[in-house]
Amino acid sequence: MAAGAAEAAVAAVEEVGSAGQFEELLRLKAKSLLVVHFWAPWAPQCAQMNEVMAELAKELPQVSFVKLEAEGVPEVSEKYEISSVPTFLFFKNSQKIDRLDGAHAPELTKKVQRHASSGSFLPSANEHLKEDLNLRLKKLTHAAPCMLFMKGTPQEPRCGFSKQMVEILHKHNIQFSSFDIFSDEEVRQGLKAYSSWPTYPQLYVSGELIGGLDIIKELEASEELDTICPKAPKLEERLKVLTNKASVMLFMKGNKQEAKCGFSKQILEILNSTGVEYETFDILEDEEELKENGELLPILRGEN
Amino acid sequence: MELSAEYLREKLQRDLEAEHVVEDTTLNRCSCSFRVLVVSAKFEGKPLLQRHRLVNACLAEELPHIHAFEQKTLTPDQWARERQK
Repeated sequence: MAAGAAEAAVAAVEEVGSAGQFEELLRLKAKSLLVVHFWAPWAPQCAQMNEVMAELAKELPQVSFVKLEAEGVPEVSEKYEISSVPTFLFFKNSQKIDRLDGAHAPELTKKVQRHASSGSFLPSANEHLKEDLNLRLKKLTHAAPCMLFMKGTPQEPRCGFSKQMVEILHKHNIQFSSFDIFSDEEVRQGLKAYSSWPTYPQLYVSGELIGGLDIIKELEASEELDTICPKAPKLEERLKVLTNKASVMLFMKGNKQEAKCGFSKQILEILNSTGVEYETFDILEDEEELKENGELLPILRGEN
Repeated sequence: MELSAEYLREKLQRDLEAEHVVEDTTLNRCSCSFRVLVVSAKFEGKPLLQRHRLVNACLAEELPHIHAFEQKTLTPDQWARERQK
């Protein structure tokens, strides 16, 4: 069968002529996506779909496309309950993962693209894919104490509801990180299932879903929002805490282990030689500090 | 798939034994947006998230086809208080 397989890799859409050949193909192509077109010569839509498949085969060489005359190989057609043509079956790891009944070119394209780009190819791949996704979603929802899954970004929201959500959070000075669900289709769909919540935006605190815009609005009205969501500390507060972190605090570029500028390096050497205990803060890590520090420095000097 | 306001209102009324289902038609953003106020005793003792989940579950089939969905959920007591304001 080796020569046949090599030919299949070159030809756009190979014809499968027997049940044996089909089984063999499933085994051979376990490592990639296999799309099988069940067709019949008397159905003109099948000819059209074959053209669509040939195009897709050109675009996605890593996907295997084959066709099988439904009435010519009845054991296989009956096994997969093919009731009409054209019907498309999708296989990964010799397992059927999807199906399309009918001549829907855009739908076929969508399914092929989705399955071609998703996940790993480990045994019982479906189980692993689901587990991996759930783990990923768990990590994402816990990525920050307050996480907003929205359409677009806080700077450029791409939907009215997401925009309103961001405005409310800013109005109440709530500290949050965000994730653009337009940037990742897997997360976009997966999160809806993970939380059994059908829409975006979605706000999470400590990994738990608080709700969508409606709920946040109601919480705002009942003044519960501030108790549920973490606040962003005002800059002045932050600076006060930071400057008091140790009896000697050095605001520098880089840190004790690695100075990132000549002056910072010199100061480190001087301090180290005195044996004084001190802690450092890397102003390169924090834009806010860098910009604001200059203005507030006189105030801090006064306080100290 | 029926998506008329009438149909959605009736479904909510039935499934949630709602005392009151009011659709907000003042904002006519687009034909597939729906904004509703549901008043039901079933919301008693339930946090907001759970109430909204009940509504979402009732309209599980229709929601994927509604582009913009907004809901407000009140218990009969809360509704009575709102009306007094």
